[in-house]
Amino acid sequence: MPSAPLAVFTVGLLLGGLLSGLVLAVAGGLLAPLPLAGRQVAVLAAALLGLLREAGLIAIPLPQNSRQIGQEVLRNPIRGALQFGFELGTGVRTYVSATAPYVLALGVLLAGSPRAAVLAGLGFGAGRALTPLVRQASAAPASWDALLTTRLRAIALLAGAAALIAFAVLFALSRR
Amino acid sequence: MTIPAGQPAEPAGEPAGEPARAVGRRLAGVAVWRWATDPILPVLLLAPAAVLAAARVPVLTWAVLGGLAGYSLSGSV
Repeated sequence: MPSAPLAVFTVGLLLGGLLSGLVLAVAGGLLAPLPLAGRQVAVLAAALLGLLREAGLIAIPLPQNSRQIGQEVLRNPIRGALQFGFELGTGVRTYVSATAPYVLALGVLLAGSPRAAVLAGLGFGAGRALTPLVRQASAAPASWDALLTTRLRAIALLAGAAALIAFAVLFALSRR
Repeated sequence: MTIPAGQPAEPAGEPAGEPARAVGRRLAGVAVWRWATDPILPVLLLAPAAVLAAARVPVLTWAVLGGLAGYSLSGSV
């Protein structure tokens, strides 16, 4: 059973992800006049580049905000957990060590679908919440952390591959 | 002491195999739980789910890809 701070942290993650999704949807409205085929090709190209980067075949620096969330946020356990989760959930106050979030963000930006943006944002927050939840469920956080370190590259690679294939299938079927 | 024909010999006191079986079950349970909470398991489930969603329930693709993207940042704060 997750603790109260962890539960509140999860809520914060979902809210942060939702906000980022909505911001992308609004920004994406400006790109709606672009031809659909061009937008889909751009997403697939980004997904392919992301996968090649995760495989170590190309080197692309990932733009990110190097400012981390301040520790003072956690002074109040519950409010701090909510704020920390919210900022982390937006994806803009964290180190982004994988390409899948960028591919997703581009996909949402070019999808022109508020529903897709909401689902993607909530999904992102839920995905971020999975890490501490599975960690807590393991009942062996120290060894879980050590195991995670060895799995990170595979996690990023699989996520990148899934994004490419899923988008390819999604776009192919949408043309029917 | 002679044992009647057809009767298996019974060891004195508690049977030696019982505690070993309980330990075995406990260790098996720990191993299963360790596998079930392996950090890579969520991705092994979400990755095919994303492709399946794209083929069958397109609208859910975004949610699953969102989950994958979020989880891929495990370890990043």
